Amino acid sequence: MKPFTFTLRQEPPQRVDLSPLTPDRLAGKSIAQIEEIEIGVTRISTKVGDIFKISEGDLKSLRYEGGSSRFDLLGAKLLPGFEIHVEGDVGAQCGRLAKGGKIAIAGNAGPHVASGNLGADIEIKGDAGDFLVGPLAGELAGMAGGRVIVRGNAGARAGDRLRRGIVVIEGDAGEDLGARVIAGTIFVLGEAKGRIGYLNKRGSIVLARAGCFGSTYVDCGPQELTFTRFLARSLRDHSASAADLLSRKLRRYGGDTAVYGKGEILTPD
Amino acid sequence: METATLDGKAIALDDAYRHAAKILSGAAFPLVAGLGADVAGARAAILLAEQLRGAFDHLASRETLADIDVKRSFGMFTTTANEARLRGDCVVLIGPGLTRAWPGMLERLALSQPPRRGAQAEQPRKVIWLGPEGDEASAVPGAKVIPASAQELSGVLAAWRARFGGRPVALDADKVSLIDGLVETLKNARFGVFAWSASTLDPLAIEMLQGLVIELNATTRFTGVHIGGRSGASGVTQTAGWMTGFPPRTGFGRGYPEHDPWRFEALRLVESGEADAALWISAFDGEKPAWSHADIPLITLAPANAAPSRGLFIEVGQPGVTHDAVLMSQETGGMTLRKASAPTDAPSVAQAISAIMAEVSEGAWR
Repeated sequence: MKPFTFTLRQEPPQRVDLSPLTPDRLAGKSIAQIEEIEIGVTRISTKVGDIFKISEGDLKSLRYEGGSSRFDLLGAKLLPGFEIHVEGDVGAQCGRLAKGGKIAIAGNAGPHVASGNLGADIEIKGDAGDFLVGPLAGELAGMAGGRVIVRGNAGARAGDRLRRGIVVIEGDAGEDLGARVIAGTIFVLGEAKGRIGYLNKRGSIVLARAGCFGSTYVDCGPQELTFTRFLARSLRDHSASAADLLSRKLRRYGGDTAVYGKGEILTPD
Repeated sequence: METATLDGKAIALDDAYRHAAKILSGAAFPLVAGLGADVAGARAAILLAEQLRGAFDHLASRETLADIDVKRSFGMFTTTANEARLRGDCVVLIGPGLTRAWPGMLERLALSQPPRRGAQAEQPRKVIWLGPEGDEASAVPGAKVIPASAQELSGVLAAWRARFGGRPVALDADKVSLIDGLVETLKNARFGVFAWSASTLDPLAIEMLQGLVIELNATTRFTGVHIGGRSGASGVTQTAGWMTGFPPRTGFGRGYPEHDPWRFEALRLVESGEADAALWISAFDGEKPAWSHADIPLITLAPANAAPSRGLFIEVGQPGVTHDAVLMSQETGGMTLRKASAPTDAPSVAQAISAIMAEVSEGAWR
């Protein structure tokens, strides 16, 4: 069956909050009712019908024909078993607090992708903004489960306070990668700039390029780690280059010794 | 004497208020930015933003939010400068430019005198300054200076904390023993104080520092004095807090306050075209907006010498100079009334905004 489709009529005149447009929240509504849903965030009203042409289909799979950097909260609180595909860009907090399911973005994404993600599988074909998988202001922990793959570059503070789950950045990462990580695994296949893993408690940061990680990462020498082989096998279908990196002999730097010292940075030896 | 200008040409003050109201009430999502004002001015400005369902941001939000982010997502020990002066037997100043961020710091902390109260009363005070700029530290006789560039500060703090916990660092043995000596000094303090300014310390480094404070507090007493941002940042943040529950970078687009440091950053709102009119308030020193190419209508409230050549300008008095003003005081850590030192007739920020708001309510969009 063909997917339930939102076709972009025009670039939204303001940021729009797309959190009401997930399959479970659309179920049982007629097209006319969906078109009346308010998605504007200023005093000027913007309704679903002003921005999108809707064509009905299988609600298990939503499709956006056309995106915009003003699409906020796309796929927020998505439930397991559902899929969203966007043929274009999205704005802030894509996949926020998603419980499961799959989100694929063909273009770029704004800040806070997968913030508070609990189990969704999110793929960004283009670049992701700052605070990839990071918590919002004032929150104590970041992503707590799921898998996020960015084929392009990520902005500053990627992986902030990651608690569980896998993050793969196939391009470059901005400043302060993997800061305050609680646990979980982050891959960067391009270049990572500036401080890396500052305040990292017990997360694993796997980098394709060696570098200097400051005085609170202690060289533990090259390692033969069993878990990397398992992880490589499970990642193979999602990011072949991350799996290749894991299959190489890796040198381990233990840190951040300032906080706990149980985290690590792994780079090819 | 120019009190209001439109694109550089003088106009009557009443016309200026009416014109400002027209610009702001005609906008879909107006921005109240700068917010360099006293408490009364900030209250009026935030009320205006709420009435117009716009957003507000302060010009030093980056610094203010660095401290607030640590406070709200990690926790923070702080005290007042007075308490630090009276009881602090070990004061550690972190970073360059602290005396620039707070010109009265050395006088208020009285670092060259011994603490007056507590277990170490009348014993010489230990003063350590990590990474001061130039000869800044020479004003504190007896201070132990640890040189470090601004970029090195976060790494040094990390190494201190690692050694405090007895964990290894990748440094030469003589460097490690220097750090261990310093950590010993911190452990032996009975009332230790770190002082920093978010203008030179990023949120992650502040979190590292506060983590060290928490660990030190397991065996002794340690706390912090943070130096607030420029243009009344601390007072405006307090005001925003009691009015909306949030610090600046808060919007009222949906009719209730929403806080998002990314979405409601003034510069981003202007450059993305999401804000379609702006009220810029900078009553202390007339600091200009950070955006350069703004083609949105701009209303500036600033002192006389800061009139821009473009847009609408309304002269306002300087808080605590030409007008009595309630300001957050770095010295006491509380709100204080600062009497005008050279009063003038210019309207205060609060008066100017009230006059604009009166015109908005009459011809309002709703």
